[in-house]
Amino acid sequence: MLDPRKTIVVTGVGVVSPYGIGMDCLQAGILSGKSCLAKTKDMYPGFEGSTAHVGSLPLAAKDSMHRYSRSDRLAMLAAEDAVRGFDSESAAFRESGVIMASTVAGLSEIEPEIAQDPEAWYRHDGGLLRAASYPAAHVADAVGEHLGIDGPRCAVSAACASSAMAIALAANILLDDAAPMMLAGGSDALCPFTLSGFNSLQALDPEPCRPFDQNRKGLNLGEGAAVLVLETLDRAMARNAKVLAVLRGWAMTNDAFHSTAPQTQGNGLADCMRLAMEMAEAGCDEIGYVNAHGTGTPLNDIAETHAYETAFRERIHPVPVSSTKSYFGHCLGAAGALEAAITILTVRCGALLPTLRLTDPIESPSVNWLRGEVVRQTLPLAMSVSAGFGGSNAALIFGSAHS
Amino acid sequence: MSSNLAAITGIGSVSPYGPLGGLIQPRSLEPESITAWTTAGLRRAFVMKPFRPANVVPGLKTRRLDRLSAWALVASSLAIQDAGIDLSSMDRSRIAVVFGTGFGCAELTEAFYQSAAVNGWGGTDPSPFPEGLANAPASHVALWHGLRGPNITVGSKGLAGESALIQAASLLRHGQADLAIVLAGDTLTRAIYQWYEVAGLLSPACYNEEPLPEGDGFVPSEGVAALVLEPAGRQEARAYAHFSSGRWAARGDAAGNIREMLGGAVPSVIICAGQGAPCAHGSTPALAREIGDSSAVIVAPQAVAAGIADAGAFLHLILALSGRPRGGQALLLSTLGDRGFAALLLELP
Repeated sequence: MLDPRKTIVVTGVGVVSPYGIGMDCLQAGILSGKSCLAKTKDMYPGFEGSTAHVGSLPLAAKDSMHRYSRSDRLAMLAAEDAVRGFDSESAAFRESGVIMASTVAGLSEIEPEIAQDPEAWYRHDGGLLRAASYPAAHVADAVGEHLGIDGPRCAVSAACASSAMAIALAANILLDDAAPMMLAGGSDALCPFTLSGFNSLQALDPEPCRPFDQNRKGLNLGEGAAVLVLETLDRAMARNAKVLAVLRGWAMTNDAFHSTAPQTQGNGLADCMRLAMEMAEAGCDEIGYVNAHGTGTPLNDIAETHAYETAFRERIHPVPVSSTKSYFGHCLGAAGALEAAITILTVRCGALLPTLRLTDPIESPSVNWLRGEVVRQTLPLAMSVSAGFGGSNAALIFGSAHS
Repeated sequence: MSSNLAAITGIGSVSPYGPLGGLIQPRSLEPESITAWTTAGLRRAFVMKPFRPANVVPGLKTRRLDRLSAWALVASSLAIQDAGIDLSSMDRSRIAVVFGTGFGCAELTEAFYQSAAVNGWGGTDPSPFPEGLANAPASHVALWHGLRGPNITVGSKGLAGESALIQAASLLRHGQADLAIVLAGDTLTRAIYQWYEVAGLLSPACYNEEPLPEGDGFVPSEGVAALVLEPAGRQEARAYAHFSSGRWAARGDAAGNIREMLGGAVPSVIICAGQGAPCAHGSTPALAREIGDSSAVIVAPQAVAAGIADAGAFLHLILALSGRPRGGQALLLSTLGDRGFAALLLELP
């Protein structure tokens, strides 16, 4: 029996994805199997690759006082979507906290010339305000100000595991009773800085990515944002909120292995999944689906496969796994939250999503690589897994509202 | 003392006072001329004098790292040593690293922009890219010490250190770690300094070789401070202070919120850790006077710590503890006017 004061539930999910704004767009797009990845040439001269764009945003980049980066605006729209129908005048809403992850934040607003003469750049074309959006904390502030939320605000930076960690930390804050409700997620815009960075590391596949395929060549970048509204079950029940899912378990670990490469056997990630299952008091057979980190890079996908083999070693049947980065790329600091939203979607509609373009999967006796058609199946529990540069790992386990 | 308390058992810092383990013996510091980049006339700040990290922590290799990562490695090593911890005898999968920063690895981020300015986005230098990520310092701390627990980097405008400490204590409270290395820091770069300058935030002391005036702008500073946080009760550990509880918010009735957290407790010391202009008449001391009773000692913000972007709280704490405040409760207090506050309640031994 779950203790309502210690049970964290999801009462709102807002997303901005390359499919559009809202969970309905995401659900329709992803269930149809549509890939948003397309060839792009205009990100900077000489760049040719596959990316997934959100398109123009229905929110101004500046008002009389502030300038909002694209990551800020993606986050503000996702947060607005997450709290649609909430009583924004209530004390609980006003005292809520915001934890937002971003790796790009305001980097999209800054041009290379800043490095040569910062003072001149600040004095030109609103440079001072544009640079003010640089700190990652600006995204949480933008969300808080946009919605009139006054509680604790915080940014999380753990590379590509950032927004999964934001959700985990928000859950801790709720257990501490430090806020009545938490908005947690991540947001990242496509920009030349990150495209150039990953390109310089030779981590990009110029074609649409093929996670977990033996012929995978790298990742594609996408953009988007997702925000979950979390609260304790007793508070949600007290205000008659609709519970969308239960956050049954969460865990964070580090590989302590290499500054960019994952630990080759996936030990840190396997530990992370084990700890999340322990918190959820779930056996490994109870996890009906894993939304993988699955970037499509040679190193990540093999290490991640080893991690599944370790974490799910005692399962009777192979664990069903897919990477939804094959639909709209890797959204970096937003990836963990977007994939948490998709994991909640799979629990709610009982749909196991396939990895697109997975024709020749890595051989693993412990993993059931989902490919081809959507599989319909009741899912009591599903897991979302994230990892990132610096050895960061995070795992979240969601259960159905009836669990 | 409640078993929920978390003890601060080790301190390390890399600051304009130098790389130091334990408390910092108070001495006055004056801003120094900036020489790391070409300036138009005299420009002053509290800067960290260059040092070789390997001279402090033998074997440390930091040549390709952002200074923030290098300093985090040194500060964490000094704090662990100060705590008297032998990591080899501990389960390092249960040790967390939580790092609070405002700007992250700004130096290598600027280097990456510089390579884009020179070579175009298509010809950038790959080496500064992953090392410029904000979580690189925490990752290097984990890598060097072999710490496989939660590894988290947080930012919170003006309150990054406070946020890091609150969240680290939460990890201990919920059994997600047995010990945490908690760090806070920022570096000063040309782009950051000139942003302050164009925004008109700097003190006249940045332009004149005169003593620091009260108020009216601030002097930028830099550094990283590290604390070892562990559940109270390790027998051989001496605690500098025990973290009891914390509150932070972006707006609202700061005094009312803090009084509610105190629950009738009366801190004997209030350590003002405000960001920016360090003056006795600033918003943090005013809030301290509102909260404290007449017997409370109010420790004014320290200029060297107040200039460290969003992450000066730990240096404020270390400097205040160096004054050997008598026992009782201490409140580490920061307010950003109408842009938020943080209050951390500590039990002093």
